[in-house]
Amino acid sequence: MNNGNNPLLSVRNLKTYFFQDEGTVKAVDGATFDVYPGKTLGIVGESGCGKSVTAQSILRIVDAPGKIVEGAILLTRADGSTVDVTQLHPDSKTMRDIRGAEIGLVFQEPMTSFSPVHTIGNQIIEAIRLHCAVSEKEARRRGIEALRSVGIPKPERRIDEYAFELSGGLRQRAMIAVALSCNPRLLIADEPTTALDVTTQAQILDLLRDLQRQRGMAIMLITHNLGVIAEMADDVVVMYLGRVVEEGPVDDIFHQPKHPYTQALLSSIPSIESTPRIKLPTITGSIPHPYNRPSGCPFYPRCPQFIKDVCDKNEPTLRAVSNTQKVSCFLYDEGRRTKDEGLVS
Amino acid sequence: MIDQSVLLEVKNLRKFFPIRRGVLQKVVANVRAVDDVTFYIHRGETLSLVGESGCGKTTTARCILRAYDPTGGQVFFRTEEGAVLDVAALPKEQLQPLRRQMQMIFQDPFSSLNPRMTLLDIVGEPLLVHGEKDADKRAERVAELLRLVGLRPEYMRRYPHAFSGGQRQRIGIARALALNPRLVVADEPVSALDVSVQAQILNLMLELQEKLGLTYLFVAHDLSVVKHISTRVAVMYVGRIVETAPTEELFYSPRHPYTEALMSAVPKPDPRLRSERIILQGEVADPANPPSGCYFHPRCRYAIDVCKEQTPRQEEIAPQHFVSCHRARELTLRGIVRK
Repeated sequence: MNNGNNPLLSVRNLKTYFFQDEGTVKAVDGATFDVYPGKTLGIVGESGCGKSVTAQSILRIVDAPGKIVEGAILLTRADGSTVDVTQLHPDSKTMRDIRGAEIGLVFQEPMTSFSPVHTIGNQIIEAIRLHCAVSEKEARRRGIEALRSVGIPKPERRIDEYAFELSGGLRQRAMIAVALSCNPRLLIADEPTTALDVTTQAQILDLLRDLQRQRGMAIMLITHNLGVIAEMADDVVVMYLGRVVEEGPVDDIFHQPKHPYTQALLSSIPSIESTPRIKLPTITGSIPHPYNRPSGCPFYPRCPQFIKDVCDKNEPTLRAVSNTQKVSCFLYDEGRRTKDEGLVS
Repeated sequence: MIDQSVLLEVKNLRKFFPIRRGVLQKVVANVRAVDDVTFYIHRGETLSLVGESGCGKTTTARCILRAYDPTGGQVFFRTEEGAVLDVAALPKEQLQPLRRQMQMIFQDPFSSLNPRMTLLDIVGEPLLVHGEKDADKRAERVAELLRLVGLRPEYMRRYPHAFSGGQRQRIGIARALALNPRLVVADEPVSALDVSVQAQILNLMLELQEKLGLTYLFVAHDLSVVKHISTRVAVMYVGRIVETAPTEELFYSPRHPYTEALMSAVPKPDPRLRSERIILQGEVADPANPPSGCYFHPRCRYAIDVCKEQTPRQEEIAPQHFVSCHRARELTLRGIVRK
């Protein structure tokens, strides 16, 4: 099963919408990608691009009024069978078995994700006992082991402390320990280092890499930080307003970006390697409000290479531009100039 | 402050916050938020204070503006009239005329603008406070300021909720510039913005600096942003400045081990540069109970015995390059690789 060619998780044309009185927010609008065992998939995008809702959809923890309206999320389970997560009831036994035991989740804010009135130990032991039939004592032993494996010093003592007694870095480590306590085969890390300082961030990224090497688990890393993606990811998915605009191996994304959004994003970030005090190229305008989603390609109002009457009228689809790279943009459409009319079909 | 080109000079600045305990609220310890900070800023340049959370960079900025009363030290400021005043020692009632010369841009463009005030009121308020009673003249100046920061003057009757994060930050900048300040303190002005919008605001700040001859004290934790905007950079660790140098020199040839580790920890947006990073062990020291000697020694891979015992003095080891490290002259440290 772990031959690396079969994806562990396959997301196909996922659409998650939020139905509100003011209108429908298409938070995720047709996302497609695969996560492979032992590899890290980076999902990158700015606020509102749907990266977190994608993660929530996979775990079926999308809050009302959000709903998965279309698509499939195929998970290969430990026994080799494949299950479509979108077909399961969020509260069903299978879903609860998957959550935590097969897919672990690390949130952005370690302070708010822990209960302030329970010790770290209570919370980690709860997770272990929920998924593994072990005694309280054994669960505690495993909990201490889990804390030790993420590099928390004196875990026998730390396990009885509360979240507020730990520093930001230690809290994030404890969070990872909880997520890993049941040996998940997929870890979803949603902005795991955004709330941390750079030196602590470096520690946590290193830890994630080590744990991945030891356990061979897949990581889905969600972040807006392109530096983190470049350091960690094997493959990258770039999202904009709920859609995947580009997908490919990390080196291609950074060195031969195809989509105008990816290109603009990469050139507009101040880099620690760029020359000081020069004018940065910018992306004009700002991300549109989800209610005022542009027609056609969601990026066209900000796109420097916008083609009139094509990009604003039709929606591009994700198509392969090389063996490894896919892009959703009319610029790469063959025959675009010859027969503009027949693009939709 | 002999040098005429120096606008601000901070000398041995200290700010301690007392920790009180018990019924009598006795002071049991002090959080040494700013612990002997010394630096200067020339007219027209951008000095960045950079460091991790809790290192005292915001507290330093607030002491300079007298939003906090410093515990000790001096803050010399050269006024428009050419006089040099110690802002730290001025009585409260003499501060107001000085405030028009020092203004602030805040981090969060959502909470720093009053949702019940229109842009005209928000940007016009400093004008009103400083004596512009004529409403028409105020509106005229507000229109001019909005144009300056790239917003349309017609927007001045609108409320902040109608604007995006980047536009709100422009409003905050317009407000800070209303009184033609000489010094603008910007506390993490882009860290709450989306990456694609950050560049717009950084460009605007550079443009305004050129046009108006502004001097910036820029407080930030993001080294890429700092590298982009600064002429010189001061690195802080647990309330102290460990290194100050011109931007390129600091990034390409750091002389303090903490600066080196900090540079190495920043993830570079290029997968071909996945390098061996220096991972600092342990945690940032507690400013209420700092270690002996050099505050960085428990995490420093170059530490020797003297580092545990003696506090290093700030030394100028190259022109404008100040380092507080016992081993600064003998160590060869790794900076950013030049492309």
